[in-house]
Amino acid sequence: MFTSNTHHALVKTAPGETRPLTILIWIIAGFGAYWFLPWFALEYGLFDATIEEYLASLGWKTRPLTLTVPVFLALFIPFAWPWLPLKRLGWVYTLFASAGIGLIFLDFIRTGEAMGFSAAVVVMALAAIFAIGIAKIGFQRGDSFISGAVVFVIFMVLVFIFYPVIKIFNQVLISRDGSFAPFQFFRILTSFGVSRVVFNTLVLAISVGAATTLFGLIFALYAVRATTRLRYAVRILYILPIITPPFVVGMSLILLFGRAGMVNDVLMFLFGPTGIFTAAGSEGIFERSGYIYGFTGIFLAQTLSLTPISYMLLSGMISTINPSMEEASLTMRASRWLTLRNVTLPLIRPGIANAFLLGMISSAADFGNPLVLGGEYDVLSTEIYFSIAGAQLDFGKASTLGLILLFLSLAVFMIQKRWVGQTSYVTVTGIQTAGNVTPLPKRMQQLFTVFISVWLVLVGVLYFSIFLGGFVKQWGADYSLTIAHHRELWMHGFASGGWPSLKNSLGYSFIAAPFTTMMGVLIAYIVTRKQFWGRGVIDFGTVLIFAIPGTVIGVAYILAFNTPPVELTGTAIILIITMAIRAMPVGIRGGMSALSQISPSLEEASLLQRAGSAKTIRSVLMPILRPTIVSSMAYSFIRSMTTVSAVIFLATAGTNVATTYILSRVESGDTGVAVAYGSVLIFTMLCFTFLVQALTGRSRVEKQVKTQ
Amino acid sequence: MEKADSIKIRLKNVSKHFGAVKALDQITIEFAPGTMTTLLGPSGCGKTTLLRLISGLETVTSGEIWFGGENVAELSATRRDVGMVFQSYALFPHMTVERNVGYGLRVLKTDPSEVSERVGQALKMVNLDGYQKRHPDELSGGQQQRVAVARAMVLKPKVLLFDEPLSNIDSKLRRSMRDDIRMLQKSSGITSVYVTHDQAEALAVSDEVIVINEGKIEQQGPPKSLYHLPQTAFVANFIGESNVIDATLEKDGNSKWVVLGDTRVQLPKGKKVPAQEGPIKISLRPEMVHIKSESKSSMAIEGIISQSAYMGPVMEYSIDTKVGSLFTRAPAYQEQYQPDDKVYLHIHPEELIVIPDAG
Repeated sequence: MFTSNTHHALVKTAPGETRPLTILIWIIAGFGAYWFLPWFALEYGLFDATIEEYLASLGWKTRPLTLTVPVFLALFIPFAWPWLPLKRLGWVYTLFASAGIGLIFLDFIRTGEAMGFSAAVVVMALAAIFAIGIAKIGFQRGDSFISGAVVFVIFMVLVFIFYPVIKIFNQVLISRDGSFAPFQFFRILTSFGVSRVVFNTLVLAISVGAATTLFGLIFALYAVRATTRLRYAVRILYILPIITPPFVVGMSLILLFGRAGMVNDVLMFLFGPTGIFTAAGSEGIFERSGYIYGFTGIFLAQTLSLTPISYMLLSGMISTINPSMEEASLTMRASRWLTLRNVTLPLIRPGIANAFLLGMISSAADFGNPLVLGGEYDVLSTEIYFSIAGAQLDFGKASTLGLILLFLSLAVFMIQKRWVGQTSYVTVTGIQTAGNVTPLPKRMQQLFTVFISVWLVLVGVLYFSIFLGGFVKQWGADYSLTIAHHRELWMHGFASGGWPSLKNSLGYSFIAAPFTTMMGVLIAYIVTRKQFWGRGVIDFGTVLIFAIPGTVIGVAYILAFNTPPVELTGTAIILIITMAIRAMPVGIRGGMSALSQISPSLEEASLLQRAGSAKTIRSVLMPILRPTIVSSMAYSFIRSMTTVSAVIFLATAGTNVATTYILSRVESGDTGVAVAYGSVLIFTMLCFTFLVQALTGRSRVEKQVKTQ
Repeated sequence: MEKADSIKIRLKNVSKHFGAVKALDQITIEFAPGTMTTLLGPSGCGKTTLLRLISGLETVTSGEIWFGGENVAELSATRRDVGMVFQSYALFPHMTVERNVGYGLRVLKTDPSEVSERVGQALKMVNLDGYQKRHPDELSGGQQQRVAVARAMVLKPKVLLFDEPLSNIDSKLRRSMRDDIRMLQKSSGITSVYVTHDQAEALAVSDEVIVINEGKIEQQGPPKSLYHLPQTAFVANFIGESNVIDATLEKDGNSKWVVLGDTRVQLPKGKKVPAQEGPIKISLRPEMVHIKSESKSSMAIEGIISQSAYMGPVMEYSIDTKVGSLFTRAPAYQEQYQPDDKVYLHIHPEELIVIPDAG
């Protein structure tokens, strides 16, 4: 073998071991960035800065000499000392790289300046050298690709997950005037409003969890087991609420049932004080009121939006039940109904529990619907938003509430992992069994058909009203058709109206998607295949990624990245990163589920053929994973386009995205424009979904979404 | 278990079509009361479909199914009074053994005390008395299958159906389980239908064997007659192993001769042959060919060993001859031949199998 204790820098390297040329490239890159890119952050970004600003930010005058030393030393070592043993070389790289990184961070914290591109690139280069160094010491058995991947992932998790969350904790302990106030937490907790808000959130979450589970079960049973044509409708239409920004459902409910709503008008017309069915002189049995606002509205909107997810989870589970079990039940004199009750449902009990918990978390994290429909009913996500966005600017309160929401979410997530993960009755045995799926009991099928038809009609009407609303002059008052709203959005040039935000949404999502998927698959790969020191960091980081609600990320990122050393708020980068983090569970779950079906022996065979990890991943795993990657990217894109709860905190006038733009128009009362934009967004996502499904085959996107 | 009143199963012109595919076409069979009949055939031949039609889990496209004097073709599985043992056992994982076996009794609203008594009896029958409180995942594969058998029988069904029950059992365990199933079936007297693709299993377990190929019945009869008197080349090849050889039939007055390459073999008087002379197919079972290093009779085929394998109790040989490559077995304690040895294959005329259907 090539590896031995004596190592010549220019000798042929073993597979997986980094060639000296690679190291040299990293050193040169770091070095070049050090001298020629802005060391300090530019006030107005790279493209809007003046020449003087650029030169000033290079920081040559203020460059502390100490920082150049490690870089120089690292540069010369392998070439000045070619007979250095491998391990020693590794230690040299590791120590100097970590020293360099540490010094850079300390320096920025000391001076209070914000890091610029140069600093970021140098840190990255040093981190790469660090990874190569520890690989040479023996981490991951000398495989510097995996070592690099691990270092990269840990770095990302530390900077973009742990650091912001720690900032929240930090904020909770420091009061508004900057003094240390640990009891502030309790004071806020026990103040009147907060317990009510927490109670509201919990009640809503539990109700929505129960409702979505029940309805999702009905849909799932129907889609898999019914014998009517309607089941195809279910299988196609369920995707609608998923590609819709969640609060758009809420908006459509207002269009129908709000004070100026269409249904309301009809009811007033029939039963109101001047209704045609009302006797003269009486008050009528119906009043125009805002009954849709508050708990009712949010409950309805969330149930309509979240049931499809529960449906997918449960229909996936139902499809994997071994048909022989139900057939055995039938041969033992049990009717279809008894079979359903005694065999089928108990078998999917873990799925039902899972769906319930998922519904709870999603409801608690939902921001758009409570904002639009909440009325007097305050929940945690909206309270957090108003603590910062309103006149209060109480970061202490926002952080405290954010922590409560985070703990809630984490608790439910942990329960899900513990409880549900363990008891799984539905295992794929791999035995080929002949067997048909047992159809539903007759009366149950009839009942479900009625229910589902009503549901689908309601959803159809809701979506129709969204599309219609874009063309109506003044909903509730003047129903004449007009294209004024759309004209305002789209026909005043690309720099005004809806175009900037739409371009931003598309652009950011487009950039975030591949990044998310790659990171997600990488994390999935490392977590499922590799053991190493530091794995706990990634594991816990992954849990946080899954469990953290959007509003909490929003607050955390404001706290973390609004101030040096890493100052990113107001830039496109922070939005892209936010979107990436929000969509990362998609990539991770997809990657993990796909990898669990690929036997490790494939990679082992490749490694035995002398291919390093990088080549193995590229030539063996990637092609097999390609369908997963494609569908993962598609779904990440969709999620990024429709996310709102995190970006609402971070979007600015210059970096506005579609969802925040719509919300701002809603807040200023321009319902028509907001709805028009919403309909365009939905239409865009529909086209995108169909395009992807056409290109990759129907089952891909479905399968991807089903693993959520 | 007391003997039930065995019923006769009759299938009349049963067909099953899946769209354009004819899985089964005009099948007419009778299953004698109290017998165990095996449906044997390669994968995809339709045997499992046939079993499922009898069970009621599939409905016939056309035809009648009679359990005794009742046409059950229109009845669903729930109403047909059949017991079925599945390939994957299909035990309910969320129920104990007792609840699994007692499931049907509970559905029929049987008295709880009677339920536990009958469950106990059924488990005793399969030697699992005492396992009532266990869960299926705590049992081995063999034990699970026995519970499945107990569960199928506890309701004293009219018909017992077995869908490849031993496919997932370790081969060592298979023989004892096979014998147990046979014993249970015999003592209970329930008319049973058994599906398998393993022909050795079929021969061991059945009163009658039905060989099915591509949705049609090739041959039906007791195991012995299928083995010794296959009616078609398919049956000859499928049951046991055979060397199927092209030969010529010659008639010389009252005597019949079969010409295999250079060898002429006189057939015994009783042997059934086609009426005309000409090409026929002969089947030689490997164990019916006796290898000797010298020719000891005129009815010996000359050959050269191409491969020899030591199997423990037997030696297996491939031998190149004028009539093709023949496969035979010989006890290992006799002389062991090596490749390139010249040998002579001796045949006894009574052991020759003449295949009537040359197709």
